[in-house]
Amino acid sequence: MKDNNKIVYLDNAATTQVSDEVVALFVETEKTNFANPNSIHALGIKNAKNVQIAKENILKSFRLNKHKVVLTSSATEANNLAIKGYCLKYSNRGKHIITTNIEHPSVLECFNQLRDHFGFNVTILEVDSKGCVSASQVKEAMGKDTILISVMALNNEIGSVNPISEIADVVHTFPKANLHVDTTQAIGKIDLDYSKIDMFVVSSHKIHGLKGSGALIYKSSLSFLPLLSGGGQEDGFRSSTVSVANASTIALAIKNAFKEDRNVIAELRNKLVEGLNAIDGVELNSDENCSSYIVNFSLSKKKASVVVEDLSNKGIFVSSVSACNSKKEPYSYVVKALGKSDVLAHNTIRVSFSKDNTLEDVEIFLKELKNTLEVIR
Amino acid sequence: MKYDHIMVRFGELSTKGKNKKEFIRVLARNIRNALSSFSTLEYIVRLDHIYIKLNDNNPDEIIGILQGISGIHALSLVLKTDDEISNVKKVALELIKMESGNTFKVHSKRANKKYPIISDQINREVAGEILRNTNLKVDVHNPDILLSIEMREDGCYIFTKTYKGAGGYPLGVGGKIMHMLSGGIDSPVAAYLLMKRGLRIECIHFASPPYTNIGVIEKLKDILAKLNTYQESIRLNVIPFTKIQEKIYEVADESYAITLMRRMMFRLASELAKRRKCLACSSGESVGQVASQTLESINVINAVTNLPILRPVITYDKIDIIELARKIDTYDISIRPYEDCCTIFTPKNPKTKPSLEKVLEYEAKYDFDSLIKEALDNIEIIYSKKED
Repeated sequence: MKDNNKIVYLDNAATTQVSDEVVALFVETEKTNFANPNSIHALGIKNAKNVQIAKENILKSFRLNKHKVVLTSSATEANNLAIKGYCLKYSNRGKHIITTNIEHPSVLECFNQLRDHFGFNVTILEVDSKGCVSASQVKEAMGKDTILISVMALNNEIGSVNPISEIADVVHTFPKANLHVDTTQAIGKIDLDYSKIDMFVVSSHKIHGLKGSGALIYKSSLSFLPLLSGGGQEDGFRSSTVSVANASTIALAIKNAFKEDRNVIAELRNKLVEGLNAIDGVELNSDENCSSYIVNFSLSKKKASVVVEDLSNKGIFVSSVSACNSKKEPYSYVVKALGKSDVLAHNTIRVSFSKDNTLEDVEIFLKELKNTLEVIR
Repeated sequence: MKYDHIMVRFGELSTKGKNKKEFIRVLARNIRNALSSFSTLEYIVRLDHIYIKLNDNNPDEIIGILQGISGIHALSLVLKTDDEISNVKKVALELIKMESGNTFKVHSKRANKKYPIISDQINREVAGEILRNTNLKVDVHNPDILLSIEMREDGCYIFTKTYKGAGGYPLGVGGKIMHMLSGGIDSPVAAYLLMKRGLRIECIHFASPPYTNIGVIEKLKDILAKLNTYQESIRLNVIPFTKIQEKIYEVADESYAITLMRRMMFRLASELAKRRKCLACSSGESVGQVASQTLESINVINAVTNLPILRPVITYDKIDIIELARKIDTYDISIRPYEDCCTIFTPKNPKTKPSLEKVLEYEAKYDFDSLIKEALDNIEIIYSKKED
């Protein structure tokens, strides 16, 4: 990478740059409110209050009053606690669980584990060519034995958006069943009625917060078998000393996420899509119903890993399927699930925006992408 | 009672007539460098052994380091004592009591021919002392404990523990070689084998960004850090190879691309070897492993140079190479998933029996010499040095 070039960061679905506000709050909290919120002395009691306020603020941002918050280390951990903690707690009610074929691995692997090691029956719904499942698909799959449905709100690779509200209505006609939604990529980016969702998750670093900080937000009537046993913090669902700084900063990050101007992002997206459509050998995987924040496309004639490497050398950072591996060709199971060919699934590129991106970023990206595609074999 | 010296044996060196002195000098220097962090060690360099006086340093770590140094056949932890026989018996008894086992054998060597008691008699006296004072029994064929006694002019050395060394020759006695390092499993192993035979290596790597990942260079640095165990400082020459590689695909049929690519690599390596005063080049090729490593391919590829090309793992099975890679701790680094120059351009059906005529015909289509010169003028050099 040349140092004198401006950096164009378009990999915000992988992680975002932490905001100055969050860093300042983190430092201040760690410096002044460092006491363990479980301690019974004055400092501890004060911090327990600080954690409580942070959680109230989180619920306020989501407009919730019947939910609770468990602070975790990541959205992956929150998904694990929600899915495994819930299923293992309520397995006496039924052992059928449902998810989709484009979930994040932190959801899919939980389902695999429950199937392979705990005897659950798993139904995996297949998305349509736009990357969505329908409420009627969910309804059809549900039965007397079904206790959990997990559907992501916004897909991390292509940005497709599922009809969560309609799915919630279906799920709640079955009294034993609850709905888990992986909302990692969705916070502030699409409209969602969070009060209809029984369990959902937050990853702080995807919304300009800190890495190592996440949350599970759940209907207060629910209970979980804890994955981490110990001192019984977080209502016994997640033992570990609670970080007051993580609590405060994730609350701030969520609050800020809801303030974002989505119209600006939509402009960026339109500009990008327009440019991509004009390039030969580029096929879009994200359609107009997808979130503006994520634009995924495939290359029919070039190797995506090489293009990403070349762009990276020019200071432009986007995502390919995964690190290139000569032995085992990586491919996007999400793009494959849309019914695309192997070549397209092997050669996907994801551009993902944040509030910090500008039209100039998109212009530079398009220009350099064209150059790269011309130059490389 | 504790061991106070490490005895270093040379093995194969001992057969090297006139050069022996020089070899020992180089080995002693390599040992001193490797152990430089232990400032209180003392070295006694002789024509038959090198003794390292421990001066209370912990021997375990030192032995571990010594086992990585080429040119050492074996190591023993020894106790030096007065050679008066009653004293030898006393010390031997105490030493053997520290060992576990049920059977023993005493093996004496009278290097000091002036010593009044012959070896056999020393064996008997010492064994008798042990038999009288312990429950151990003698087993001359498969003893649990082999107690060795060496009578030398400056005293008596007693030991029970011998450790295998790396073998080979002291690093540097064999001159310098230009080694082609891809980052895969084979080339680091080949480098190790060369160093073990006393050759100093300099490495050459061909980078084709953006077709190769920038992570490969980090991977190479990690591999070199492992190889620094055997050679403290290694120079890596990263050759910008993209233009040449792209040109090859323009002028040649895809099935010949690998052959041409390897020929260009050997040209670059030979040219750089000459500039850096290396008398040979080396690679991690193993015959038959891939299309470019059939005898026919090697023949056509090798035709570009008149320098000797050493291929230390040429007859090794992959499984044996992997075993060595694990031993020198480069395997886990080598299998990191990054594209290297050999993988990304891989054609579907590479020629296993390329014809030299055809190759020359393709190469005549473009002035590759100027590209080679340009590549050599734009080398990025990275030094890998052993950390203290």
